[in-house]
Amino acid sequence: MLWHIVKRELFEQVNSLRFALAMLLTVFFMLVNAVGHIDEYKTQQSEYGQKVSAYLARLEQNSDNLYKLVLDGPGELHKKPSPLFFCAHGSENNLPKFASGKPAGWGMSPVIDGKHYTVSGIWRLKYNGFPSIKAKDMFPVFLKIDWILIISTVLSFLALVFTFDAISGEVEHGTLRLTLSNAVARRTVLTGKFLSSLISLGAVFIGGVLVNLLLLYLSGTLQLNAQEWSRISSIFVVGLMYLSVFIALGFLISVLVNNASTSLVILLLIWVIWVILVPSMLGTIMSGLNQPSIRRGPSPVYFSRSGLKERYMARGLEDETPTRERPPTPATLLWAEFLNEEAREGARLHRAYLNAQINQIQIARELNRISPTAIVQYAIESLAGTGFQRHLNFLKNVERYADEFNDFLISVDRADPESPHAPFVREGMSDKPVSFESIPKFQDSVRLGDAFKGAMLDVTLLLLFFAVLFATAHVSFQRKEI
Amino acid sequence: MLWTLIRHELLMNLMTFRFLVTVIASMSLVLAGSIVLTDNYERRLASYNEDFQKHQEGNFSGKTYSSFMPRLDRAPNPLSVFNQGLDKLAKNSLQIKIGEVPFLWGDVNRNTGFSNPFRYLLADIDLVSVFQVLFSLLALVFAYDAIAGDRENGTLRLILVNHVGRGLIVLAKYLGAMLCLTLPLLMSFLLTLLLQLQSHAIHYGTDDFLRIGGIFLTTVVYTSTFYLIGLFISSVIHRTATSLIVSMFIWMVLTLFYPNVSLFLVNRFIDTEERVTQADQAIDQILEQFYWAEEVPGDPFENPPLLKGSKAGAGSSSYTHLKKNITFIPDASEIHVPTVKAYFQELTSGRIWTAGTVWRIRENAFSETYIRKSNIARNALRFSPTGLYHLSTEAWAGTGLARVEDFFKAGRQYRETILDYFYDKKAFSSRQWFASDKGAVRWDDIPRFSYQPPSVFEDASNRALRDLFLLFLFNPMLLMITFAVFSRQEV
Repeated sequence: MLWHIVKRELFEQVNSLRFALAMLLTVFFMLVNAVGHIDEYKTQQSEYGQKVSAYLARLEQNSDNLYKLVLDGPGELHKKPSPLFFCAHGSENNLPKFASGKPAGWGMSPVIDGKHYTVSGIWRLKYNGFPSIKAKDMFPVFLKIDWILIISTVLSFLALVFTFDAISGEVEHGTLRLTLSNAVARRTVLTGKFLSSLISLGAVFIGGVLVNLLLLYLSGTLQLNAQEWSRISSIFVVGLMYLSVFIALGFLISVLVNNASTSLVILLLIWVIWVILVPSMLGTIMSGLNQPSIRRGPSPVYFSRSGLKERYMARGLEDETPTRERPPTPATLLWAEFLNEEAREGARLHRAYLNAQINQIQIARELNRISPTAIVQYAIESLAGTGFQRHLNFLKNVERYADEFNDFLISVDRADPESPHAPFVREGMSDKPVSFESIPKFQDSVRLGDAFKGAMLDVTLLLLFFAVLFATAHVSFQRKEI
Repeated sequence: MLWTLIRHELLMNLMTFRFLVTVIASMSLVLAGSIVLTDNYERRLASYNEDFQKHQEGNFSGKTYSSFMPRLDRAPNPLSVFNQGLDKLAKNSLQIKIGEVPFLWGDVNRNTGFSNPFRYLLADIDLVSVFQVLFSLLALVFAYDAIAGDRENGTLRLILVNHVGRGLIVLAKYLGAMLCLTLPLLMSFLLTLLLQLQSHAIHYGTDDFLRIGGIFLTTVVYTSTFYLIGLFISSVIHRTATSLIVSMFIWMVLTLFYPNVSLFLVNRFIDTEERVTQADQAIDQILEQFYWAEEVPGDPFENPPLLKGSKAGAGSSSYTHLKKNITFIPDASEIHVPTVKAYFQELTSGRIWTAGTVWRIRENAFSETYIRKSNIARNALRFSPTGLYHLSTEAWAGTGLARVEDFFKAGRQYRETILDYFYDKKAFSSRQWFASDKGAVRWDDIPRFSYQPPSVFEDASNRALRDLFLLFLFNPMLLMITFAVFSRQEV
């Protein structure tokens, strides 16, 4: 019976004017998306390749002396572009493209035993690198046409246009009464209608997707491996879930309101608020209310103000210079301890500043999640490997690498029998060249597991939205007088 | 007769559920939007005031002529609440330098009132975009069954039985619905104004009120355009359900598809990089030639330093061609002062000439790249009512590219004024160009910078009215077509 209803409804849907118009609109959007992204990934990748080779060249240059590596750090660590950029722009233009392992930015030369002893801080991770607004960005503001826009705005709108008269229209025409006079359960009717709407919208969606992928494939832009294919199919599934939310919403309103045009008016209003206004307004509100607790990043010489330096001075830091003696003298050890603690503390402060900024955005994102549009945006961004969640994963990769790099420096020093083994003070360390091959290189990787983990919460929320709306629609349909 | 019909239509519309929805939706969205946007404006204003104070103190504190490098700030525009345009995006300060003509098209650091750079991940919205989406949609919702509905119900036939012209019916329907739509619009504008006038940061003058009036008028014309599109569809298509669906698709195409797609494609396919790089290379060449050319006399502060034993004061740059402030010149070196004066005179005139040449190259490059691209985008937008609405309100609010360019033009003029002033004072060949040992420069009579934004009449006649007129042109056209279609129809 269910199948019978689905078939009948589907036949009616597919033959209708709106189906044709929906198909046309979606395919057009998808075509524009494909045309706009031809060769874009290649450009991004070649840019990334240049940046990475610059990073490697710098590393190689510094590898003639171990201490140079300690001072200068690994350099700029770049984020790998995602091949699925056309699915989700994820505001990548507003996110840093790299994190930098750079010199500390301070040096001091206290007078010890009548001579200047010069010392500078060792490297640490810094999280600047936000792109400036380029001259070419000064252009009338427009929405980036990616899959997210197509799914979240165009297809959700179509979902409402497909369903606004699903029940109310039939009530008006009296056909619902006829249907129910047969031995059909109401839930079967509702489920049948739901499935047919989902299938016909899915057909529109998949039609657009196929045109899009085909064009990108033919132009040679799209060269995906198994991992990326699984991402694309998950994006498709998440898109369908999102559409189900709107279909369920359409049914709910259509059941509650007896007049088809009134139900469309209500639906459009909800749509405007949910899809267009909430995601763009709540963020602004939140960022206004919640200023980050720290106004500026740490100054490079914070340690002279924070009491760290005084503590070491009290222990006799500037009484004696470190020497190359083996085993290391207490002065060498003290300097090493000071430099290490300074670097650790500096990195911690940079991180705390970053965390304060990230938290603010996280709160805004949590609030935005009252709109399924924001939810689907976050989920697709995670799956496509762009956007904020991906940036956080990138930062995690960078931090892991920073630890690895420091471990490597220590292990190289250990291997040198002539070194006093008191890293990281210049005199306490090996000053031999390092073999470039043995230095760990930063490889930004995108793991599928991270992507799914990032999208998990959002997918659950979407399901929740769907369950609530569909159940409500179901209950009200059961209780409806026809 | 007409009045009776209008009253009838008005009553019919006012009692409907959709009118209630219109009022509630527009009021609540405008309320939320105004609060957020006003807050954002206050924030930017605070940061502007802070910069302005800082720069005011710094600008005239130099002791020598060469240290005069004032920074000028562009105030945020309070009407950016309505249409933000480029107000947040474009550079908001410029520096007057002898060796460079100020220009808009440079990279901008993000100093727009927020300390968190991740904030740009969250989207922004202005009131015009709310109206743009909401009122076009509502106009279509009001219009889709205006004629088709009456025909379906049979009321149309009943009306026509009386002695009523068909033109009158269309006109009455149009006027009645427009009155209904204008009412919530007016209320929204008044609400916004009320909220903004509560804020201490915003002070509107007559000029601003006229501009807001212009925005209101444009919004009404925009809404009316969409209503007439709906009316046309309603007269062509006989069934209300079909008319509704067609209206919705047309709305989608006109407000979402066309503007975004055209901008996206223009942005993607008009490449500016190559031409700009080319210009940059030419500029680098000129600069290199100038600063390394043989003709430029040797630096008097190096091998051997002519002013031996002199002391440089605060604010002195190590580069000779930038700020110099020598606070003490020993008597023994005094004989070299004329040589140094001559050096600076020649260097400065060379720098001014180079700046002019570089600017000509830049100006050409910009007009061939960024400005051309922006104009193409604008012209592409003019094909849709939504684009026209956006452009016209941008011109009314004064947040468009033209206004930002205008500020930089004023900056360039100010630079010329300063150069003239320096010529009059013979500053370039004076001792006070590089040394303040015989007394600092007094800045009492130096021309001050003041930027007077163009008045509402200039903005209106140059830009806003043209787009408003184009938008308005849709109206009589659509009305006539609707009438033509309707009067030939069998009822």
